[in-house]
Amino acid sequence: MERTAVARFNSLVESVGRTPLIGLPKLSPAPNVRLWAKMEDRNPTGSVKDRAALYMIEKAEAEGLLKPGSTILEPTSGNTGISLAMIAKLRGYQMICVMPENTSVERRQLLEMWGAKIISSPAAGGSNEAVRVAKELAKENPTWVFLYQYGNPANSEAHFHGTGPELLEDLPTITHFIAGLGTTGTLMGTGRFFRQHKPDVEIIAAEPRYGELVYGLRNIDEGFIPELFDPTVLTRRFSVGAHDSVRRVRQLLDEEGIFAGISTGAILHAAIGIGNEVVKSGKSADIAFILCDAGWKYLSTGIYHGNISEAEERLEGQLWA
Amino acid sequence: MSANAINNIEVRIPTILRPFTAGAKTVTAQGATLRDLIADLGKQFNGLEERLMENGALLRFINVYVNDEDVRFIGGLDLALNAGDNVTILPAVAGGANRSGAI
Repeated sequence: MERTAVARFNSLVESVGRTPLIGLPKLSPAPNVRLWAKMEDRNPTGSVKDRAALYMIEKAEAEGLLKPGSTILEPTSGNTGISLAMIAKLRGYQMICVMPENTSVERRQLLEMWGAKIISSPAAGGSNEAVRVAKELAKENPTWVFLYQYGNPANSEAHFHGTGPELLEDLPTITHFIAGLGTTGTLMGTGRFFRQHKPDVEIIAAEPRYGELVYGLRNIDEGFIPELFDPTVLTRRFSVGAHDSVRRVRQLLDEEGIFAGISTGAILHAAIGIGNEVVKSGKSADIAFILCDAGWKYLSTGIYHGNISEAEERLEGQLWA
Repeated sequence: MSANAINNIEVRIPTILRPFTAGAKTVTAQGATLRDLIADLGKQFNGLEERLMENGALLRFINVYVNDEDVRFIGGLDLALNAGDNVTILPAVAGGANRSGAI
């Protein structure tokens, strides 16, 4: 237990990562088919994105792109921007986020608290539009440092060198790893680590399925696949809607006492589905999944109480993951 | 089950492709495999197959899920379909693109 002795850090950014892995004895489908939550809410700004943000910034510093006084630009639905803003504040950079209007009010408040400037992209464009606007701004402002989490290998490297090794150390018997699919950085980095060090671990994506309006492209060519995404790293990929995500995030609170954000509900839904399949097959499993963030930033959505269908309606049109 | 099997698979159509289904959000189609099902969709709705497939493969920005699982990881177009399965077609997006005025 050498690692748990290390609880002292010289500054906040040094405490990124090394998050606890918490067992879920009540939600695990059988005594030999266990679920484990990797508690990424324990990172300094409260989300898994601290890992990628720190890696991207340190890589840009090492390459000489980021210097004191530099301005960082990033399209984000919130968490990555919050992580970058915290580190930027400590290291003397300006932070500009391009963020869709239809994200929770708490994310916007947190960004402003850490000193970030927010450029809103239309709700009617979602993250696709935020990416497009940020790419244009990057062209118009060549002195700004465009870290670009969707295509920056440092995003997945943070998980290759952090999340993956931590999981294997804490859970040498791991059989499945499940995470959300957004930039794809968590799954690509952790997945590649296991491909090298324990290749039989299944790498499973849980992709949030938003309200149908969110998919209303004008043309299918406007579709977007993050540059980081390599489907050969994945074993399976599930699409999870708001109803199941809300149901599971409440179950996590009711049965295990863990207060998580909505996207974790989608991931837990996939984890429980996989667990039930393993039980049917008569095998054993240790299934680890990413708890992306805690529920604080989503209280204003009102999804933690009342009728689930009403909660689902409140999420319609929102980018909840 | 033969290629023209009757298994009444429910298919959810994304907004962008509804002009091909007269606005219907869900349609019913038949097929022993996903490939057969898409061919049947093409027969029922003129032009739809070409918006899903190119050179015998799914288009890059089209994702198809059977019972909420991405078919690219479970057999692709050869995946066998059974009565009671549900199929969802979605465009690949970066977590959202609800453009106003979308078709």
